Amino acid sequence: MSVLRREGFAERPTGSELIMNLLDAAQEAAAGGDCLKLVKFLRDRYIQFSRERPGSAGLFNVIRHILTHVRDHGCTGVRDYIAGLKESYDKALWSASEVMAKRIVDGEVLMTNSNSLAVRRLFEILVRNKVKFSVYVLESRPGLEGLILADYLDKLGVETYLIVDSAARFFMKNIDKVVVGAEAVAANGAIVSKVGTSLMALVASEARVRFFTIAPTLKISLETVYGELIKLPEGDWRLLMNEETRKSLPEKYVAKAPLYDVTPPNMIDGVATELGLYPPQSIPILVKTIYGSYPPQLTPLEKLFSELLGGG
Amino acid sequence: MEGIPREVLEIADGIRSMRIRGAGKIARSAAEALKIAAEKYEDAREPGVFRKYMARVADLLIETRPTAVSLPNAVMYVMQAVFTPASDFETLRNSVVSAATRFIEESNNAVKRIAEFGSRRIKENSVILTHCHSTAAVSVITEAYKQGKVVKVYSTETRPFYQGRITTRQLIENGVPVVQIPDSAVRYFMHEVDQVVIGADTITSNGAVVNKIGTSQVALVAHEARVRVFVAAETYKFSPMTVIGELVPIEFRDPSEVVPAEWLQVHRNVRVLNPSFDVTPPEYIDAIITEVGVIPPQGAIMILTERLGWAIDKIKQAGLTKLRFEDLVEE
Repeated sequence: MSVLRREGFAERPTGSELIMNLLDAAQEAAAGGDCLKLVKFLRDRYIQFSRERPGSAGLFNVIRHILTHVRDHGCTGVRDYIAGLKESYDKALWSASEVMAKRIVDGEVLMTNSNSLAVRRLFEILVRNKVKFSVYVLESRPGLEGLILADYLDKLGVETYLIVDSAARFFMKNIDKVVVGAEAVAANGAIVSKVGTSLMALVASEARVRFFTIAPTLKISLETVYGELIKLPEGDWRLLMNEETRKSLPEKYVAKAPLYDVTPPNMIDGVATELGLYPPQSIPILVKTIYGSYPPQLTPLEKLFSELLGGG
Repeated sequence: MEGIPREVLEIADGIRSMRIRGAGKIARSAAEALKIAAEKYEDAREPGVFRKYMARVADLLIETRPTAVSLPNAVMYVMQAVFTPASDFETLRNSVVSAATRFIEESNNAVKRIAEFGSRRIKENSVILTHCHSTAAVSVITEAYKQGKVVKVYSTETRPFYQGRITTRQLIENGVPVVQIPDSAVRYFMHEVDQVVIGADTITSNGAVVNKIGTSQVALVAHEARVRVFVAAETYKFSPMTVIGELVPIEFRDPSEVVPAEWLQVHRNVRVLNPSFDVTPPEYIDAIITEVGVIPPQGAIMILTERLGWAIDKIKQAGLTKLRFEDLVEE
């Protein structure tokens, strides 16, 4: 794998793994029964995520849920609440993948990119259900996480084709369905996903290939209901190569590598959630189902923090 | 090989062993080889014998690289002179030598002319996106930059071989502000882009452009964003074989260009598919910029019939998918 580092290969936690990790860490922060410590911990993470993964709606929703619980119920039962959140997210992720799995029939050829946990679970369910399928995986620069997914598929025993990101259109005619994960789903049904997803969606739509995303409802970005734009982080050459390769290039060499892009709802045929398969345009209906009203009553995170920390 | 000058054989060998590389260089070397062959011809001073000899040289050259389109085009250009009716040997030989010289000169000037024509199509304050590496495309962009029209260039990395790094390096050397982006980010950046300028490997009779894998996606994304796509290509990139319906073969290259061989050895269920080219349909291309002028992609057939009409007639006549000049010589 050291050769691959030269190409900018890096293991990064997926959006869902980050959510699970955050819940585990929050559990630990709440261990002493000290909720101030928990809230401060969440505030630090909030600042960090706003900088590093501003597009990962699930993380902000988790923080909001815990803060709201502390505000409404104090510290009592917060650890059970966090444990419950984790369990229900894990369940929701399985259910969403189950919903997607029902749409895949024997003999189909799928295409995907990156290394989404939801998509990995979809493949696991299909194998368990003895559905025969094959998968085209894009290597997914920057990061080359497609290789991690290909490794996972290899171990599952699935017929897998690894291709460069540029070859999506070349092979799209062979594909029955494209399935991807999502970092966030916006109120209008647009999704934030690994960069290149919107390109793959456009190529699919040109070839009239169906395009689906698997996203538990925790990934719906509530802020977007109020017009907030989802910020997308960009990196530089460090995401594309190692120091050694950089040295072989001119001093003035500049690179820009976005991590995510936005796929518009008109290119998405369905969003598989734990509540079922929804057209992207019906996200407001989902929000109403879960939060009781549309638009949802939303206290901004900043306000929750200042309420709980007393402006500190 | 008997009777064929040593210099000619050396050039043929250079093309075969890939010592001579790049569509333009291959084409000019082939024309040069034919020129030398004509000049050094020492057999009977009769047009018929001379034609037979030149046909042998032409076939030898074409066989060195069966898939390169510039090579047969250069050879056909010169061979057209070989097959023009001539009563005396000296006139015939002179016209062959001058055809070869003309081809080399035109080819050498082609990139300059393309840069000149292409730069006129670039608007003020343009952000340009390019894919892979093309000398013609880099020349167009550099010329437009010199005219003060280019603000920024996005150059894709172009996996698996990173030819985009060559483009970036050349643009930096020419003083052009350039930012490298991963191939996956083309749609992310397209809303900032005013024009796409790319090269071509082969252009077919219906105006489709065969070029580095990923080109057709770039063109699709540009089309979606209503960004103009210009293809910079010398006329020897147009394929006469496609006029009789031949498909352009697309090479699948070694998987180890994408992932290390060791990775593949431990992943037995994974196959790496590594096509090196894709086909961009004419509807995603706004213009092809050649050294003879700017044409719509649908005008490709005109370039082919005007410039290579003779060769196409011969191909049709002989019903050949592989042209053999020796068969064309009448006894």
